[in-house]
Amino acid sequence: MTDLKNILHHDDELDNDELMRYLEGNASEEERFAIEKQMADSSFVNEAIEGLQHFGDPAMVKEYVDLLNKQLQKQTAKKLVRKNKRRLKDQNWLIVAILAILFLCVAGFLLIHFSTVKHG
Amino acid sequence: MLYFQDVSADRYQHISDQELLDKFYSDHDNQWLGIVLHRYTMLLLGVCMKYLKNEEEAKDAVQQIFLKAITELAKYKVEYIKSWLYMVARNHCLMKLRDKNIFIPVEDKTQLAATETDKKELADKEITLGLLETSLAELNREQKTCVTLFYLQKKSYQEIVDSTGYSLLQVKSYIQNGKRNLKILVEKKMNSTE
Repeated sequence: MTDLKNILHHDDELDNDELMRYLEGNASEEERFAIEKQMADSSFVNEAIEGLQHFGDPAMVKEYVDLLNKQLQKQTAKKLVRKNKRRLKDQNWLIVAILAILFLCVAGFLLIHFSTVKHG
Repeated sequence: MLYFQDVSADRYQHISDQELLDKFYSDHDNQWLGIVLHRYTMLLLGVCMKYLKNEEEAKDAVQQIFLKAITELAKYKVEYIKSWLYMVARNHCLMKLRDKNIFIPVEDKTQLAATETDKKELADKEITLGLLETSLAELNREQKTCVTLFYLQKKSYQEIVDSTGYSLLQVKSYIQNGKRNLKILVEKKMNSTE
């Protein structure tokens, strides 16, 4: 009866390979119990597995998942590159602004200096 | 700066969703989000397929959900990414169906969603077996049978369907409701003993 505590214990880990074996009907008893327990614990997992069982060929699931993951990886990497480019652009503007301010300071100083020398 | 060759690599397996999200919120590097979302691709594909019943549409829907997640998560903090993604996926699919004039009655998932978020609370507390045993006995016959067969005898959904004569939907419902009622009963008993 020690399994009683299993009822209120949640397990978050859901392994994709185990899930694939479950969909193909090749999961071990232990894997099958772990997956169905998560289905009972979470409506997300339950609805997901019900949906995955609608695929005509379980192998297609893996194909779609791989494709989606590749696109996701590109998407998240692309955004970062774009962000970095923007950051560099921002830095360029900062350098230009600093140089402009320095130039104005020097020009102002020289102007004041020479005008006081002339008047003096 | 971080560049990940392969987000599917097991090297991030030990990092929880929450930790990855915290990293994302601290440096706004989308690749942390990529690792989190990658964990849910298959589940999201399943949920979209359940509602849309079309493989291509389900795939496209997951892409749109990823896009939405990348945009929205940058705007505000999300505590429980798993529940949030589930909610986004369901809403997205329901909207798609609504566009086709297909209306699906929305079940009340609030109870189940609550179970997802406060999951550790009960598990963390030391629950005596006696308390669980007496609570289990208080469930109605169908729930008690299904909960016992499922959790204690580790029978599969199909085996329970075969041995009880209930439908698969009934078995799932008796297990989910039985578990929820069991939790309520245990909590009540714990509060009364405190």
